Amino acid sequence: MPDLPPPLQALLADPKAHLAGTDIKLVLPLARTLLNEILAARPADTPVEELLLDPDADDFLHVHLEVQAPVIGRVRRRITLRPQGAVAFPDQPWLHLDITDGFRFIDKPILKLMQGQLADKLPRGIELTADHLRLHVPALLTAAGYQKLVPLLRHLQLSSRPNQLVVHLHLSA
Amino acid sequence: MHPVERHLFATDFKDLAGTHLQGTIALSDELINLGIMDFLAGLKAEPAPSAPAAPDQDPAEARPDPRKLLSLLQVNQLEVKAKDGRIVVAVDVKM
Repeated sequence: MPDLPPPLQALLADPKAHLAGTDIKLVLPLARTLLNEILAARPADTPVEELLLDPDADDFLHVHLEVQAPVIGRVRRRITLRPQGAVAFPDQPWLHLDITDGFRFIDKPILKLMQGQLADKLPRGIELTADHLRLHVPALLTAAGYQKLVPLLRHLQLSSRPNQLVVHLHLSA
Repeated sequence: MHPVERHLFATDFKDLAGTHLQGTIALSDELINLGIMDFLAGLKAEPAPSAPAAPDQDPAEARPDPRKLLSLLQVNQLEVKAKDGRIVVAVDVKM
């Protein structure tokens, strides 16, 4: 990671040693406009052509997406996700979101297309079915070069309220 | 500047309102010393205060005013101690 300042490089190289004794909790609300700025900054070759997030009350998170599927052409869908449980290292590495609405039986080609493109273009650790989206957090951190942060992860959970996705994070070293 | 960074600066971080950081951050003396070295290197690299701003700088690329950023924070606790070769910061900050 040559672009990072030296203190951050040292920290990421051995976080356990440099942060020993740390115990910190972060509640980070991300407003809808910011989430969609983040999604808009995704690489051009990601699987979907349009991708918008709309956090709602009671932990419901709507995803508006548009994909170009073989045979059926361009389709738009609204998928509703609901975060379940928390990630805790090492016992529970998956960030699990139920898909409560959106993928119908006839959407199998879209699902298959997205599964194929996820497998081709994104790191391993993302699992999409008609019922759920699961992210294997240690695998994704490792793919991003942050594998040494994984043991510090005590708790990671998502919740949703109108216009805000909230990240709850507990780190200790 | 990354588009997300530009958005955060342009909107005075309002999309992060409600952020709450609480707990203890313990930093090794090695990390503190690397930080001091990096800070000094940054000061040396900056232009003199009297130097005029670059005429072609886009105002949208401007960094936020640190005083304005600090005014957004509610600092309930910020306590620094040196302990066993580490700097320990007890922090409770809301935005």
